[in-house]
Amino acid sequence: MIEIEAVLANLPSNAQKSIVSTIFMPTLFKTLGFNETTIFPNYNTECGYVDFALRPHQDNEIFLQTGTNPSVLVEISGRNINLREGTAQYKTVVSQLKTYLLSPKCKSATWGIITNSCHLQLFRKHGKVIHPATQCLEISNNNINDIVNIIRQKIHSPSTALTVAIYNNKGGVGKTTTTVNLAAVLTAWGKRVLVVDFDPNQKDLTSCLGVSLGQNTFYELLEDKKNLIPLEKVIKPYTIRFKRKKTLTFDVIPCDEKLETQKEHEYLQIFKINRLKQILDKLKPNYDYILIDSPPNWRFFSISATTAADVVLIPTKHNDIFSLKNAANTIKQYIPEVQEFKKDGTPIALPIFWNGEKATAAAKEQARKAIDIIIEQAKKDNPPFDLLPYFYSRYTRDSQNRYIFELPSYANIANATFSQIPAVYRDKIACDYYLALVKEYFLQ
Amino acid sequence: MHLYMIEITLKEGIDAPEFLIKTAAQYLRSNNHNWVPIIVKEVEEDKYEVIGNSYVYAVAEAAKLEKVWCIIADTTRETDELTKILAGEKTPKINLSTATIDDIKAALQYLIEKPGSFLKGVNLLIAATRIDTASDRKYWKNLEPITKLKCGITASKLEALAEAFYLTPEPEPVLDLQSLTVTQLKDLAKQRGIKGYSKKKKSALIELLS
Repeated sequence: MIEIEAVLANLPSNAQKSIVSTIFMPTLFKTLGFNETTIFPNYNTECGYVDFALRPHQDNEIFLQTGTNPSVLVEISGRNINLREGTAQYKTVVSQLKTYLLSPKCKSATWGIITNSCHLQLFRKHGKVIHPATQCLEISNNNINDIVNIIRQKIHSPSTALTVAIYNNKGGVGKTTTTVNLAAVLTAWGKRVLVVDFDPNQKDLTSCLGVSLGQNTFYELLEDKKNLIPLEKVIKPYTIRFKRKKTLTFDVIPCDEKLETQKEHEYLQIFKINRLKQILDKLKPNYDYILIDSPPNWRFFSISATTAADVVLIPTKHNDIFSLKNAANTIKQYIPEVQEFKKDGTPIALPIFWNGEKATAAAKEQARKAIDIIIEQAKKDNPPFDLLPYFYSRYTRDSQNRYIFELPSYANIANATFSQIPAVYRDKIACDYYLALVKEYFLQ
Repeated sequence: MHLYMIEITLKEGIDAPEFLIKTAAQYLRSNNHNWVPIIVKEVEEDKYEVIGNSYVYAVAEAAKLEKVWCIIADTTRETDELTKILAGEKTPKINLSTATIDDIKAALQYLIEKPGSFLKGVNLLIAATRIDTASDRKYWKNLEPITKLKCGITASKLEALAEAFYLTPEPEPVLDLQSLTVTQLKDLAKQRGIKGYSKKKKSALIELLS
């Protein structure tokens, strides 16, 4: 028997945290590729003490001595704590881990693990976004070795892009505007960005940037199962020239007319739903962010975009109840369907934000009351769904904070579309607003 | 501890409206027991000074109470500050040299939304973003650079900001002026407000800036 299977089998069925920590963890860490000098127990994150911090071996520095720049944070529980996904104890432990991962001292940490030797889950951190990298897996002798191998591979591979699908079932909430300006401001901030126009009905992203179609169109790339078409031929760079010869560039996969020609059900016969994911996964190492503009309506294009994504950003309008209800539906129904299909814990929805409408205090209160009702109704669903953290990201039992990020209304954001230059590059205030959005969701 | 009012002094007067003090005193007279303790420190033997909950002291005085319930804290400055913050008599400050954008946003929001605030019309998102992304924020020795950020905070409003922010500036790195280009030197001169830089050559600029 392989070592870790033996150790797991020998654990008592009611093993407390100390037993899990001293008997199970050393073997787990060893199988993950970490030895004594790369494991720091009881690590002070300055937001609390996390059970273990790990960092791959580096020749010039011993992690155990310096304690700087951890890569992985590990939070242990005893078998008396039920870490099945969705339980209150699971949520507490995950919330604890996220606090540690987001502490300023752990900026370098990109992975988090929770386990109690019955369940095990890996989380990935990209900037401020923490999303599952595996489901919450029930471990046993039969699967522990395979699971640990998968985790080891992920932890030791170089960091790749965060794939974001910008989606709301409701049209007109500003998905394309958000995508374009997010790409622009992230690029200005030094990140490598790829934008994908996956809305063939409107093709707004492609036209609002004035990008022409690639040589081999998107359709052919989707069809190209033998991977003969080089990806460089489909990707077009979008460059802006500023004063003093400064330029900024991000890449675009433009839409094309052929994508609009087929009927919906025909797409599902020709393309598998994860075809877009296959293509974009190959591009992940080349970028920091991949943003996918998706159409409204939950059909082939949106489902593909969501399948390809790690996280889903959902713009809404505070004065449009349907945009809020559709956001709720996306979160509690559509996204879980995709999670079921992918079986790796992704995609997860980011908390919603209010996009670009002039809002009085009374209107915002009205919106919040409507959201409260939506949350209450979801609790009565079968099975019940907790929508609260997706609407009120800062809500705790003590603070009851119903904060929602607002991108203020600003005419120059919409006006910029007439110029084929993102608003962010034309107007400092627009730039500040989208920078605030980026710092709220993505950048630490 | 149950102390005599005559042993306790209040160093700074309190701002509360007369109506509140007088009416609360009536409530206190009927009960005679101040369940909310006054926080004091011992300045001399059997002589105390109020460091927290001065409102309760004022009400006890108006109610002509002979003895009041107190907590005797130590005499350090840190305890004094902490007590005033916990009693709501002083605003806690955050370190603007190292704060994250979320902290800056929260502090600014508090200041803007205070009734009668001088910062009333300031756009929260813009001000917070521009302050956070100011490249030399960690070197600021005072809050004046904020007025140059064009976020609606003028010199007259800086005092209102000082209520929630303090600074711990890092020492500025020593610049190797020789290694900069003429354009960069002129930019630096403009930043520092030095006049007459535009027609100068590199050596003259370096002299100007050192």
